[in-house]
Order: sequence, then structure tokens, then C-alpha cells
Amino acid sequence: MRTAVLVTLVFTALPPLGRLWVGPTLWDRLTGAASLNVRVTLALAAEAAFAGHGILLDVALAYAVLGFLGTVLVARFGERGQR
Amino acid sequence: MTGSVFLISGLALLFLGGVGLLRFRGPYERLQASGVGDIGGAVLFLVGLILRLGWSATGGILVALILFFVFTGPLSTHAIAKGAFVRGERPHEE
Repeated sequence: MRTAVLVTLVFTALPPLGRLWVGPTLWDRLTGAASLNVRVTLALAAEAAFAGHGILLDVALAYAVLGFLGTVLVARFGERGQR
Repeated sequence: MTGSVFLISGLALLFLGGVGLLRFRGPYERLQASGVGDIGGAVLFLVGLILRLGWSATGGILVALILFFVFTGPLSTHAIAKGAFVRGERPHEE
């Protein structure tokens, strides 16, 4: 069950990776990066809950906070432009 | 059993959001598919984890993670959409 869930989660993370790779504009790439952050957080939480590593849940929470801050910071930076 | 149903439906919703992110036409359509699919799929997945593995082991932090996703998903979506609109991206005309 644990292996199946993790493999399916990795398979789910392939389309955001493709959008991050080929996205025509900055906003498409940013959307893909935010979506990939969600998948990585879920993978950390699933590994922590299935294997019983409680410390990985704190890592997942910190990763979610840092991913949100990075998304908002890059969005604000791209909104301001080269000035 | 119920936890497995929640886990599988969350994974399916994440996959459908990814397909929408890959196949839609403009930045706003992709943003909508990504936002809806990610938040719904993540909440369903974490509820499935809680239901499957019991409340006592890791329940509190998983609930904190659910609340974090619910509150910050629309914020990041709005930040990306506002940046795209200010920088001159316009939705497609039908």
C-alpha cells in the first residue's frame, strides 16, 4: 500500500514537471512549481504516516510553508518587472 | 476501507488536475485546473491518511497541514493570477 501510494504520487507529479519544463510564460512555470510543491509535501506526509517517522511530518509542514512563501515571492517579483 | 477510498479519490483528483495543467490553453485555465485539483486532492489525500492510520499517531500535524492547504492555496493562486494580469496576460477570446 505504501509503495503503491508513493509510486502513484510520483506518477501524478509528472504533468506539473512537464509544465515547469515547457511553460511558455513565467506564470505557467510558477503554476507548475506550486503544484509540484503540493505533491512533494503530500509524499513527505505519506511516507511519515506509513513508515511511522514522526519527524518527517514537521519537515512536510516546513516544506509547505517555504513553498508557499517562494511562490508568493516569485509572483510578486515577476509582477513588478524589470524596474 | 473508507481511508482507502479517500486516498484513491485524492490521487485521482491530483492526477486530473495535472492533466488539466498539461492540456489547457492559457495561463488562467491552467491556473484554475491546478488550484482546484491541488487543494481538493491534497485535502482528500490527507483525510484518507488520517482515516487509514488512526488519529493518535500523527493526527494533529496532518490536520494542521489540511488547514494550511485550505488557507494558502487560494492565496498563492491569487498572487500568480494578479501577477499575470498586471504584466499584460489576457484571457483568450472565444
